[in-house]
Amino acid sequence: MARKEVKFSSDDEEFFGVMGSVGVPKFDREMRGGIPRGFMILAVVATGSGAELFAKQFVSPAEEPENTLYVSTSESAPQILNVFNKYNWPTDINVRTMGEEYNSRVLERDLQAARYRLQGFSMADVQRLAQTRFVDDETEDFLTELTDDVTSLGPYFRAVIDSMDFYFNREDPARVMSMLRMMQAHTQLNRGLLLCLVSESSLTKSMEMELGMLADMILKFEVVMVGTDFETRMIIKKFRNAPENMAVISFKVTPEEGITPETVKRIA
Amino acid sequence: MIPSTSYSRDRCVTGVHGLDEILKGGIPYGSTVLASGTCGSGKTTLGMEFLVRGALAGEACAHFTATEPSVKLLENIRQFQFFDMQMVDTGLINVFDMDVLYSWLGMQKTSFELEDVHALIKAITDIVNTIGVTRLVIDSVTTLCYKIRSEQLIRDFLFTLGKKLATLGCTTILISEITSASENALWSSFGVEEAIADGIIVLGDIERMGHLLRYIQVVKMRGTGHSRAKYAFELTPLGVMMTPMLKWGSVTGQ
Repeated sequence: MARKEVKFSSDDEEFFGVMGSVGVPKFDREMRGGIPRGFMILAVVATGSGAELFAKQFVSPAEEPENTLYVSTSESAPQILNVFNKYNWPTDINVRTMGEEYNSRVLERDLQAARYRLQGFSMADVQRLAQTRFVDDETEDFLTELTDDVTSLGPYFRAVIDSMDFYFNREDPARVMSMLRMMQAHTQLNRGLLLCLVSESSLTKSMEMELGMLADMILKFEVVMVGTDFETRMIIKKFRNAPENMAVISFKVTPEEGITPETVKRIA
Repeated sequence: MIPSTSYSRDRCVTGVHGLDEILKGGIPYGSTVLASGTCGSGKTTLGMEFLVRGALAGEACAHFTATEPSVKLLENIRQFQFFDMQMVDTGLINVFDMDVLYSWLGMQKTSFELEDVHALIKAITDIVNTIGVTRLVIDSVTTLCYKIRSEQLIRDFLFTLGKKLATLGCTTILISEITSASENALWSSFGVEEAIADGIIVLGDIERMGHLLRYIQVVKMRGTGHSRAKYAFELTPLGVMMTPMLKWGSVTGQ
């Protein structure tokens, strides 16, 4: 099937440029101007490594807020907005909290079913049951919804999925992979920037390899002990067509700038 | 001591034309009766008329439909003069969609395990108890049992359900779909239903002079004597109308 052509206006090309900021000026400088537009970035993260903050910072440039999407599978909307307000990042971007939706659409229903099983029906329940003629459409496909959300974004979009663990833990990994391919193709075609977070523990070796090939850039976030202190690091393991950018970046979190790189060690 | 022969169990008068005569007064209260029949033999209509006659006598009735949506069932049954939609609107006849019940119980799956079967028994008996149902129809028990993979579990399900409904004083008709009502056929799809049921009423077709005649036959009914003859019946706007097969034959000179 022929790929659909995406037309970019010259104004847009001039405004957005070929590189996009990750929201961390020092990081952009180390990457020689940021990240090429059209990149899908995979962040393999460890708990407490600051990756969630990095993800929020990644959408903070929000060149077009209506074309910027932040998907969270674990935080609530107020929690996310609190962080954006704290750092004075734009709050008019699109935020989708899949974790909250899952709780209300799936878990609450399961809980209610468990209650009916355990406690039985009240008279009001029986009357309501006798008047209910149709079953609500209960087919919940959060993965398709995610893919649809991302592929509905227009040229030069910016999106974050925090995190893919939610989908890998609930869906057939092959299906998740195929949806990621669709999102990657859309990102490339529309010169978007897509950051996907995933825990190392959610991936098998073969999944890691496949994702490694699919992603244009791989970041690894880790926390290590240095002497008696903890150090948070971001390792740029892959940078398509620019291996010179591969590096180990130690960073700290400051109240003013959020993720702030401190030292950079080149790998290649 | 010679046992008294005058004892007779209280009956649930079905109100269905001819059936109470065959059963010498009606179905013994609290019985679980299997109404087995081939497609189009009038099982659903018989079941619905059984409920309507009960509702007319002021009894609370319930119908669980698994073979067709309740909306369709009610539309189809409206053509019969014995049926009045008011009975549903006022809660005398409570029609439940099994799909909705499954969904409420988190049982929208292809097969049921032991805990699902227990949940289903509890839900049905709960409903019967809550609204004081004395007449119940499950249409069909075959569709329901398709989801229960083990024969033992089907047996347990029907036995426990029947026992609990009997305790609650509820007379139940379990509609069963069979592919053939010939002499060698089973009266149920899984073979276990007929052994557990207190009664078996078979509905089928007989071809006479190029016409398919509906017939009804009470094969078994614990707690009462009954005729085991086949009776021809028609589904008229007034409901089920029965005539003995022999009589029908003599009228037409057969």
